[in-house]
Amino acid sequence: MVCTMVMKQNTMKILKPVFLFLMLPLFAFTGAHKFYISVTNVDYAEKDEAIQIITRVFIDDMNTVLKERYGYPAVLGTDEESTVDKEFLEKYLRTKFLVEINGKTVTYDFIGHKYDSDMVICYLEVPNVPLKTLKQIGITNEVLTDIYDDQQNVVHMKVNGKKKSHVLIKSRIKGMLNL
Amino acid sequence: MIRVKYAFASVLILFAALSFAQEAVTKEKEPGHYNQSKFKQLYEEFATPNTYRSASGAPGPDYYQQQADYVMDIRLDDKNAKLFGEETITYTNNSPDDLEYLWVQLDQNVREKDSKAALKNGSGISLGDSPEKFVGNYMTESFDGGFNIDYVKDASGKALPFTINFTMMRVDLPTPLKSGDKFSFDVKWNYNIPDHTVNRARSGYEFFEEDGNRAYVIAQFFPRMAVYNDVEGWQNHQFWGNGEFALPFGDYEVNITVPADHILDGTGVLQNRKEVYSKEMMSRYEKAKKSYDKPVIIVTQAEAEAAEKGFSEKTKTWKLKAENVRDFGFATSRKFIWDMQAVKLGNRDVMAVSMYPKEGNPLWEEYSTKAVAHTLKSYSSHTFDYPYPKAISVHAKRQGMEYPMICWNYGRPNKDGSYSDRTKYGMISVIIHEVGHNFFPMIVNSDERQWGWMDEGLDTFMQYMAEQEFGEAYPTAIAPNDKYPSRRGDPAKIVPYMSGDQSTISPIMSNPENVFQLGPNAYGKPATALNILRETVMGRELFDHAFKTYSHRWKFKHPTPEDFFRTMEDASAVDLDWYWRGWFYTTDYVDMAVKDIKKYYVSDQPNKKMKAYLAERGIPESNLPPMVYLEEYDDAAMVSPELKNNLPSETSKTLKEFMMDNMTAAERAAIKEPKFFYEVTYNSPGGLPMPLIVEYTYADGSVKNVTYPPEIWRKNSKEVSMVISSTSELKGINIDPKMETADIDTTNNSWPKKEQESDFDKMKNGVKGK
Repeated sequence: MVCTMVMKQNTMKILKPVFLFLMLPLFAFTGAHKFYISVTNVDYAEKDEAIQIITRVFIDDMNTVLKERYGYPAVLGTDEESTVDKEFLEKYLRTKFLVEINGKTVTYDFIGHKYDSDMVICYLEVPNVPLKTLKQIGITNEVLTDIYDDQQNVVHMKVNGKKKSHVLIKSRIKGMLNL
Repeated sequence: MIRVKYAFASVLILFAALSFAQEAVTKEKEPGHYNQSKFKQLYEEFATPNTYRSASGAPGPDYYQQQADYVMDIRLDDKNAKLFGEETITYTNNSPDDLEYLWVQLDQNVREKDSKAALKNGSGISLGDSPEKFVGNYMTESFDGGFNIDYVKDASGKALPFTINFTMMRVDLPTPLKSGDKFSFDVKWNYNIPDHTVNRARSGYEFFEEDGNRAYVIAQFFPRMAVYNDVEGWQNHQFWGNGEFALPFGDYEVNITVPADHILDGTGVLQNRKEVYSKEMMSRYEKAKKSYDKPVIIVTQAEAEAAEKGFSEKTKTWKLKAENVRDFGFATSRKFIWDMQAVKLGNRDVMAVSMYPKEGNPLWEEYSTKAVAHTLKSYSSHTFDYPYPKAISVHAKRQGMEYPMICWNYGRPNKDGSYSDRTKYGMISVIIHEVGHNFFPMIVNSDERQWGWMDEGLDTFMQYMAEQEFGEAYPTAIAPNDKYPSRRGDPAKIVPYMSGDQSTISPIMSNPENVFQLGPNAYGKPATALNILRETVMGRELFDHAFKTYSHRWKFKHPTPEDFFRTMEDASAVDLDWYWRGWFYTTDYVDMAVKDIKKYYVSDQPNKKMKAYLAERGIPESNLPPMVYLEEYDDAAMVSPELKNNLPSETSKTLKEFMMDNMTAAERAAIKEPKFFYEVTYNSPGGLPMPLIVEYTYADGSVKNVTYPPEIWRKNSKEVSMVISSTSELKGINIDPKMETADIDTTNNSWPKKEQESDFDKMKNGVKGK
């Protein structure tokens, strides 16, 4: 049989979250089966004194939400993609993906996006964050929860050797890392 | 030449003594140990070969397997979604043992009311549940999907005592079944068919609200004989849901009665085609048998849509007969569209078949049968010609499940008929995978209940090859990709798993019920291990021959892991115990690195190492035989320009004299003397030995690729040093430049150490550059 389904059935439902974190990156990229998942890595780049965020979302899910939410027939990841598609992608992310530093919401730069098979990968950066001043990072990730009740947004945070992972869902949209 | 030998011998002895002396000084007395070599032969892990299973990996002279033949009458109650059956099992005891009882598998009992399978996993409070999940978990009566057994009787109609233990039923025999004898008995049963889309089941129905129809994909639907063999005795390990099936071969005659307006196909050859086909279907079928390039539609979408509205009260019986299969499955519905084409394999024709509801179109009519036909060709070329008369791909939502000659596959377009690449490639891949399972485990009949990887791993490996070949055969189907986007098989794709938290990784040699991540464990990692074995360790020629040998040896038989491991070595003369140990028996991972590099020049004077050695023992330098020395370049400024620039024979009088005495002038002129000498130390923090593939780059622009055999790690699995020489200065070292070994950390693979641009920086710099 095909294993991806077994994983959804058993592991996602029953295994402790710690196991979930480990397998998500794997099957988010290998799953042909319909999973509602995104994976985000939040890292601190010392040389740039910046928080760098890479978030991976399924392309077809992103196109679906842009169409439903804005009535815009998005074609991300196809030859027909235009700058308008990118603008809507950015607009949606800025609505549903928020970064907080030391309790205050901050703006981030949308550096760019690219594709890896069926995922769109977005690069976000919060510049000018000296490590000394950094006490707490909060990530609010509601991406796709407006169309999928089962959407799970996995967020791995790593700053200065300290790690924390969260599975964010519709009823729990925010994860923190305290330093 | 005598002098040459003497000189070499003395050098060897001296250095051997030297390294020994050093160790003796620095090492403290340590306790002894067992053989911990990663290259130790697998005598302890492998079962001892015997007359059933030979040391070569082939079936032994006394190899036997049981046979279970079935004659069944099945009736589908579509209105109530219930299945009724009466079967006669004829069991042939080919074992040397007398059997006091028979074990019969009742797989549907995994979903009996209040099944303990539902209790097999520990759980924690989740962060939150969707209402649907919450209702399912806490507020729904458990579905009653177990077998109701009406009777078990012998051939004379006398009831046989039986005992049911969860998914296994023991039938007690009046007298032991002697070796070589047959025993026939009848079982009458029924069960409630589950909705396979709600609660993950490998078999069941999907209900279509719009038209009120069900599409059934039915399997493990009848009490089936368990395997009895020389390895397990009775393989009656319970069916808990993850570990799949272990089944003996046999012949099947199955009559299935369904509503008259259903379209049905299943394992075996249809015996009463004229009774169940319309005239139109018959003539299309005749065309399909001669159509080798594209499928012919047997039931059109328009006909299927018309049938959806029928709900006939009448019934029809479809009669199927199958020889030498280990199982039986069928699919039936009013909704099915049906197409077929012929595939030439050797001098035989095999039918590639697809059945799908309209919800699968336009994807299914475009790709399904194409993928089936391609799979049969690709797999046959790597193993043996597909021996069955047909292979069917049935579209069922969220399914990916295999049976002999028939399988269920996902891949559903959106309601408006559009579909993403993800859906398309997912569909083609799952069809290749499930049709491919005909080879492993339907024909090369391994025990899935115990060893998930033996069929899933081998099949996923074959799937990778078939996908790549599909891309080559149908470039327009995969455009704009130039290579089929395989999800598993490439070494780099297994890195996240193998570098993960050890507490959630199990060796491949684990029971599928007991692993944390079945996907990478039984599918991805073994498939990658075989791919690396083929491409990098053995090479295609040796691997393909050995893999084919295994397939032929165990075709229509029951192999064990050792039979596979032994055959791969037996047919190739490649000692692979280290590879099986590392990849299959442990959770070690590959990480090879350049640890250190030292530069040397040729000197006529004893080097520091030699001086220290002599001083320690009070030996005068004058006692040394004539030798050539390599001295470390620790301080470049201290080395005279002559030493740096001269050729070794210009610096070392010893060497010059030797060359004058032993070589002709022409030989001397032909020699390219190396000027640069290095000691490179490689280490392997990962501990999984692999060939050390190194790309050396030189100042003159030349590149040299060297593959050191994995045996380089046999004495010290952590570290090894290598002296290399060259005529041009070494500028760079890069380990595994083509990412062939699943090295989990490539930041330590280069000298000089490359500052690796992070993924984020790549994007940032790329954007700036625009």
